[in-house]
Amino acid sequence: MEALYPFLYADQLDVEPVLRAVSVSTADKAREIVALRQQLAGHFADTLIACAGDMADRFTAGGRLFTFGNGGSSSDAQAVAQLFLNPATGARALPALSLTNDVAVLTALSNDIGFEVVFARQLAAQGTAQDIAVGLSTSGGSANVLAGFEQANRRGMLTVGFAGYEGGRMAEADTIDHLFVVPSASVHRIQEAQTTTYNVLWELTQLAMD
Amino acid sequence: MTHTVGRLDRAAVDAAFGRRVDAGTALADDANQVAAACHAMAARFHRGGRLLVFGNGGAATDAAHLAVEFIHPVIVGKRALPALSLTNDVAFFSGLAAAGAFADTFAAQVRLLARPEDIALGISASGRCANVAAGLAAADDSGLLTVALLGDGTVGDGPDIASSPAVAHVIQAHSSDARIVKEVHVTVYHVLWELVHVFLEQPGLLGPKVIRS
Repeated sequence: MEALYPFLYADQLDVEPVLRAVSVSTADKAREIVALRQQLAGHFADTLIACAGDMADRFTAGGRLFTFGNGGSSSDAQAVAQLFLNPATGARALPALSLTNDVAVLTALSNDIGFEVVFARQLAAQGTAQDIAVGLSTSGGSANVLAGFEQANRRGMLTVGFAGYEGGRMAEADTIDHLFVVPSASVHRIQEAQTTTYNVLWELTQLAMD
Repeated sequence: MTHTVGRLDRAAVDAAFGRRVDAGTALADDANQVAAACHAMAARFHRGGRLLVFGNGGAATDAAHLAVEFIHPVIVGKRALPALSLTNDVAFFSGLAAAGAFADTFAAQVRLLARPEDIALGISASGRCANVAAGLAAADDSGLLTVALLGDGTVGDGPDIASSPAVAHVIQAHSSDARIVKEVHVTVYHVLWELVHVFLEQPGLLGPKVIRS
């Protein structure tokens, strides 16, 4: 086949350089996120310590954690809830709930009112002054996340935000007690750094409760 | 100024961030495995295959993240690729768990939902989740491309997925801490998504079957 139609196979000869380029790109990204994390240790240290202390106080007082976000950040919200609720390694399990779990509630609110209220309305129904709200948005501009913070703040909840770039509207909001803005221009590196930040926040909260 | 809240201080923060450096850096050494997985996945997508993703606990949230990454790219202009997170179906999951068949959850879904041209991507932070191992084995039996994102396999007493002959592409995070493993995995699947598109944009690299079609 190849002897008959060499032109059909000509492009395939180029796969090795592309594989090499892709490998180099992978290694570059790995080093980029390691460097970003190291930068964040200093950048976030004071906020992490204050936030973990406040979260520990809320949990000790019987508070619960509510988490929310859209798209990839909704899976991060679920990961944060999972981290507190079901830490595998013998750590203290704490009450936490992701606001994207309930598809009936999400679709009902979206259909009847609008997507911008999906987190705020759940927090209005469930949240108390002892509780904690953690919202994630890489852009910092998600309308439903901002509305969630407004509602949580109005109810006296402790509010914790994760954003990227320069923080967007979350950086301007006066409804967020502790805000972690990952200074990167890459949505992927922002999410990766946010993952490390909430994992470290979980660890410090556990430490504060020991 | 040193802040101290209970046992919290700057040293605790530095220690927590510091513990992540080695596993993050080690990923650069595994770049060839990541590149090979991207190439093989792109070939499957080009043949019309879909991506089925699965994992437990924190890895279930990674499965959801990975699926949305492919279906709805955050970078404008990249095409949507078919992907499905198998833990979305809570009714199915709780049904099998209640029947005592949790170890068969992913394998049952693969047998029922997958086509031979598809990709099965299993995520296990320990590297030893029995239902992830079974899902990948069922996928391999059905002719799917199999990819596993794993931890170092030093904790847990389930099967060592990294040494399973059913897995074509193994990418391991070199840590036994599930949280650090997750962080490496997030970078890996972001890179998988981005670099699959590099190959898809040059279909001549994806094999003779493609060229004949």
